[in-house]
Amino acid sequence: MATTNPLQRALDKVGIEYQPTEFPNSGLHCSLVLEKEQIQPLARALARGGFFIETVTAVDKIKDKVFECIYLFNHYEESLRLLIRVSLPRNRAVQPSIGKIFPGAVWHERETTEMFGIQFDGCPDSRNLLLPEDADFHPLCKDFSGVS
Amino acid sequence: MNRPIQPTYTLDKVGEENFALNLGPQHPGTHGVLRVILHMDGEYILKADPVLGYGHRMQEKIAENMTYPQTLPYVSRMDYLGALSYNLAWVLAVEKLCQFEVPERAEVIRVIATELNRISSHLLWWGAFLLDLGGFTPFLQALTDRERILDILEEITGSRLTYCYFRFGGLPSDVDEEWLTRVLDFIKEFRTRLPRYHDLVTGNVIFHHRSKDVGVILPFDAAGYGLSGPILRGSGIDFDVRKHEPYSGYDRYDFEVPVDQNGDCLGRYNVRMAEIEQSLRIIEQAIGSIPEGPVRSKVPKLIKAPEGEVAVAVETPRGQLVIYIVSEGGKKPYRVKYRVPSFANLSIFAKMARGQLLADALAILGSLDMVIPEVDR
Repeated sequence: MATTNPLQRALDKVGIEYQPTEFPNSGLHCSLVLEKEQIQPLARALARGGFFIETVTAVDKIKDKVFECIYLFNHYEESLRLLIRVSLPRNRAVQPSIGKIFPGAVWHERETTEMFGIQFDGCPDSRNLLLPEDADFHPLCKDFSGVS
Repeated sequence: MNRPIQPTYTLDKVGEENFALNLGPQHPGTHGVLRVILHMDGEYILKADPVLGYGHRMQEKIAENMTYPQTLPYVSRMDYLGALSYNLAWVLAVEKLCQFEVPERAEVIRVIATELNRISSHLLWWGAFLLDLGGFTPFLQALTDRERILDILEEITGSRLTYCYFRFGGLPSDVDEEWLTRVLDFIKEFRTRLPRYHDLVTGNVIFHHRSKDVGVILPFDAAGYGLSGPILRGSGIDFDVRKHEPYSGYDRYDFEVPVDQNGDCLGRYNVRMAEIEQSLRIIEQAIGSIPEGPVRSKVPKLIKAPEGEVAVAVETPRGQLVIYIVSEGGKKPYRVKYRVPSFANLSIFAKMARGQLLADALAILGSLDMVIPEVDR
């Protein structure tokens, strides 16, 4: 019988194939590219499997006209850093929130919203976090050139 | 009359005794420019709403616009009390991305310096936490010992607070025998002074009244909020990046990860005090096993990273720091994300403060040991 780890069990529950990467080279145990509908069921499975949230952020791939929404999860007992990548169109970036599954994700989602303009659908709190409350610019976008 | 610059806040429950109390941004209990809007019912907190961003410097955008070596002195400005951990994390991340080798002697010296920095950070926390609880003497006691660590680190790094001592592929300069003896002398003397800390505070009845069963974090909540560091270990979860995914040869040293099952302010206090002793053990072992050899490997003068992404985790005095770099090749990173421990650790404060006395909320804030520039970045 093959030994399984908590990540494999969580991924099995939502029917995603488990493919570990070379951990020593990148510091990532597993890297996934998902559709935005898959994130909430997977987050639920991860929460049940004892995973904790490291961060939610994004990368602005302006050449491809997409935002890559990035999730990092890890496990307290084993070193299983999981990176999830979700591509969102730059002009209509809406992503389901996992703030109700992982309460710690709310602040990370608020930060991503103000920095990139990605909306998190169903996030319990969507006010600006680090920027002033009336700021409507998104500084981490690659086409941001400062405010006058 | 001046117009109010902040929007007015509506209270959840309106009664005769309810009011909104503004804590900070300039307040000694918030350890920096943190503002918390407290919805009070008399002396009790109905709801706490932290307002961040007063120290926001857009560190991630700065890193995108600078080369890898240019960012090196910037990262330690985030957590100024545990600057060497940040310095180490950035160096490790770039070394992993570009696959630079590090000589073993450099790794050992990195561990010694980082652990000294951890002790100095915990000492300042110890003093400041007790200052929050109303005791002034501990602060002076802790700063006396911390000053000696700063002197030791100043000798090799040249600075006393925002250190930048590590370089890609090793260290800029070696340490001599005299410095190592000085560290050992410090450890010997500090061991005789540590019982005083416990005599003065740990068994004190007033301190126990203020910290026991105050601000309890359950292990279930700890995982949901992504906590790490002494706060997590104070809730009974054994998680330390130094054991979890060892870096810089931490797997070579024999040390324990202190854990406390209570999850209250006293639990977090006990964990940090035990951690100081473990750090002393690590330094002793490191000095005992320090190999001879070079401290810097050959790295190109102009650092050009290959395409790719790395995530590197380091245990700072406050918890797990992850630096995530996306590179598209070239001299500058495409995207840098700092996953900072204080940010996650502070996010649970609103939940913990609910229903507490105002004075206890300040004790909780003190026990979280956050550094605001790190939260705000």
